[in-house]
Amino acid sequence: MIINNKEPLLEAKDLKTYFFTENGIVKAVDGVGFKVYQGEVLGLVGESGCGKSVTAFSIIRLLDYPGKTVEGEILFKGENLLRKTDAEMRKIRGKDIATIFQEPMTALNPVLTVGFQISEALLMHFKISKDEAIKKTIELLEKVGIPMPEQRINEYPHQLSGGMRQRAMIAMAMSCDPILLIADEPTTALDVTIQAQILDLMSTLLREFNGSLIMITHDLGVIAEIADRIAIMYAGKIVEYANKRTIFYNPLHPYTFALLTSIPRLDMEMKRLNVIPGIVPNPLHFPEGCKFNPRCRFMTDRCKEEEPQLIKVEEGHLVRCWNIDKVAPEVKKGLLVGV
Amino acid sequence: MMDSLLKVDNLVKYFPIRKGIFRRTVGWVKAVDDVSFEVYEGETLGLVGESGCGKTTTALTILRLEEPTKGQVIFDGRDIVKMKKADMRKERKNMQIIFQDPYSSLDPRMKIKDIIAEGILTHNLLNVRERYKRVGELLEKVGIPAENMDSFPHEFSGGQRQRIGIARALALEPKIIMCDEAVSALDVSIRSQIINLLKDLQKEFNLTYLFIAHDLSVIKYISDRVVVMYLGKIVEIADKKDLFTNTMHPYTQALISAVPVPNPDYKKERIILKGDVPSPANPPKGCRFHPRCSKVMKICSEIEPKLIEIKEKHFCACHLYNEK
Amino acid sequence: MNRILRKLFSNITSLIGIILLIIFIAIAIFAPVIAPPLSEDHYLIPRMSWDINPQPPGSPMSDDIRDIYDYMGAEIKYDRAICGTAEGGYDIFYGLIWGTRTAFKIGLITVSVSMLIGLFIGSISAYFGKWLDEILMRITDIFLSFPFLVAAMVLTTVLGRGLDKVMIALIVFGWMGYSRVIRGSILSAKEETYVIAARALGVKDNKIIWKHLLPNTIFPVLVQASMSIGSMVITASALSFLGVGAPVGYADWGQMVSFARNWIIGSPGHAGQYWYTVLYPGIFIVLFVLAWNLIGDTLRDILDPRLRGEL
Repeated sequence: MIINNKEPLLEAKDLKTYFFTENGIVKAVDGVGFKVYQGEVLGLVGESGCGKSVTAFSIIRLLDYPGKTVEGEILFKGENLLRKTDAEMRKIRGKDIATIFQEPMTALNPVLTVGFQISEALLMHFKISKDEAIKKTIELLEKVGIPMPEQRINEYPHQLSGGMRQRAMIAMAMSCDPILLIADEPTTALDVTIQAQILDLMSTLLREFNGSLIMITHDLGVIAEIADRIAIMYAGKIVEYANKRTIFYNPLHPYTFALLTSIPRLDMEMKRLNVIPGIVPNPLHFPEGCKFNPRCRFMTDRCKEEEPQLIKVEEGHLVRCWNIDKVAPEVKKGLLVGV
Repeated sequence: MMDSLLKVDNLVKYFPIRKGIFRRTVGWVKAVDDVSFEVYEGETLGLVGESGCGKTTTALTILRLEEPTKGQVIFDGRDIVKMKKADMRKERKNMQIIFQDPYSSLDPRMKIKDIIAEGILTHNLLNVRERYKRVGELLEKVGIPAENMDSFPHEFSGGQRQRIGIARALALEPKIIMCDEAVSALDVSIRSQIINLLKDLQKEFNLTYLFIAHDLSVIKYISDRVVVMYLGKIVEIADKKDLFTNTMHPYTQALISAVPVPNPDYKKERIILKGDVPSPANPPKGCRFHPRCSKVMKICSEIEPKLIEIKEKHFCACHLYNEK
Repeated sequence: MNRILRKLFSNITSLIGIILLIIFIAIAIFAPVIAPPLSEDHYLIPRMSWDINPQPPGSPMSDDIRDIYDYMGAEIKYDRAICGTAEGGYDIFYGLIWGTRTAFKIGLITVSVSMLIGLFIGSISAYFGKWLDEILMRITDIFLSFPFLVAAMVLTTVLGRGLDKVMIALIVFGWMGYSRVIRGSILSAKEETYVIAARALGVKDNKIIWKHLLPNTIFPVLVQASMSIGSMVITASALSFLGVGAPVGYADWGQMVSFARNWIIGSPGHAGQYWYTVLYPGIFIVLFVLAWNLIGDTLRDILDPRLRGEL
């Protein structure tokens, strides 16, 4: 993978997206920043409600009312996407930045054929004839591994299986040779053997195009396979940001540590699963201070009063916690032994 | 030697496909096709497979929430398939189920105390005061403060609702509980809470679990023995350790290799299956897995392999092992 | 429940509906006070005169009527036709006030009975399915194929005049919509996991329908019912207008419009001379139906967000 370390392809700075509902303001994304370099995969990891999907929608500026990006910058190739007009964003979406969603059935229009939807994207961004578009569509479907693509272009989404639909979605996303792909839980709804196929396909395509990927998921196993750098999100903020090995072998945030030790895994015998007590907080009633404090076993008084900022622990490793010195020895003990 | 609490023999469940004005049956979805296994008292039997393999239908059919097309289900020595409706109703006390979706498995209009008490009320086991006392005890057991018993389901989180579902299943003091993807719909940080709870309850009440899941990592953690299903058939049965160290069936091997592991250095044999899972309405001839199998032989497309005990307590349905 | 009440009162259209309804309820309850009855049969509209021609609003009681009351020794509680008289001297005001009671009677009784019938047929049809479902739904279809007004007319003609006959006719041809709606709701609700859970506990079928299915599916039926109350009243009025409904002189809005049949146009040279015979009963009918429609509309809007899971 050719990684260009000079300028990041996409940089988010202090991104804040709030939802102004009748019950109050939901700070879905509250000061998120990260960098994605060319050819690199950034994993955005967190559970439901942490703000990872909203981050993705904020980048491509497809937020639904009552959501609004109130602050921050999203620099794509140096230009701030938040300042672009709708027309400019439409040119970027699909062509430079492509998205894949979780539910291919809802992302694909059920009353239009698969072929039409893909060639529609091509015709919108390139000056080619309809026949050329169809030809390219068939090539794309073949590339993503859909058998008999000449037949498939005339089929409707419901005639394809889940795995095929997701491949069609990938074909649609890759059709205009995007440089950045944002995938929001692309394999969560798929069977695990199909998931393996899709992840394999995505890795192959990325290598070929030297493109970048923002992979949004809650599955740490998937992230371990595909990501280079990982941002762990909780309650609208990034709580830990580091490269893959650091996250898995030297995490310093209690949430990261707790997540890693609470999931069953095939490569280890686990005597007992670590439990994260409590529940994911209600975005309308976030706790004071550090948002994770009610569930954190390293919690101190300071955590209840003051929200920690992201601190640079070492080059490329940021953690948002007051007590990392307490966490580190626990990690050494617990992580590779399965608690 | 453990006692066999539940014995499933040649269980079949077909769903008719109806077409046309007169709704004629034009075909069958062979959801469960000649499935046989045993569940021993006190164990956790994991039932794993991908979507369409028939694992949930198996559980529902065993409980006669779907009527079996053919076959026997022998629970505690009694064939429950042959039972009359009234006797079956009484038998339900002994076999309960926890569902996947915490949001639709509780009646939104009922207070949770009534949801949990419904079984007790139906079978007239306790009077009113004792009933709600027991509800309070059950709630505490599953980790919900009893003073919340007058609340409605929508006031609880997904994990809490799942606990309520567990309390409901426990209320009748069953011998066996089917956990149908009981943790699949929960957030990752909540899953371990519920898994640990289920393990603790099993110890305390000497429960037997039939644990259905598609996530092999969870199955590996919680099961004693594992049954692997593919397209309505059992392809492998083994003790947990054996299944992972001496994997026999090519599908099981592919399944294990496909599971993502949260370990960046984890090296595994990459087996990527070709194609999609075929439809259970039209399964392939011979061995149902043969079109996607990397070790396919000529015989596989003609004759269906039988589930045979290849090694002690390790069963496999594959022609690769049939010569022995 | 609180949410529903809050929504009902927050909307201007539903507020109008509620206010109107409250006014009508008050009229119905206080009818004996507002329009004191002058004879034993409260629903018999008293006559202010024997005059065939309708008298304008404010006309005094005619002398020969007054003599009759004096002769009988009955107390004359009021002697002016505030809204005028209809054909034959019937006091319009009295008819309107006591007609409110009739309207409520017709609306509530026909709708509740047809709803109960529809609920019963629809729910057992949906729950038990198979041949029972086929038979009951085909019976429903047969009833549905009769054009409502014509069928009701035929039935009342056969049964004879009378408000109860009208209600029977409206019920016989009015239950089908409810059975269809509840059948659809129950067909989907019975696949819900909590219903399967109840079966797994061993709960009997009738308890499942009663405790689980109906409470969760009844709301759309209630919305439909509230909208129907208005249309039942209109149909009953139509039947009365055509002469097959309530008996002559009965306090019923439809009756009163029926009295106006010959006088709608007015006399030559004086178009609309007898406007009060049509306008007053017309307004009452319109406002009554409007009230129920507005409330039903709001109930339906409440239903939508709940369907989306905001409850």
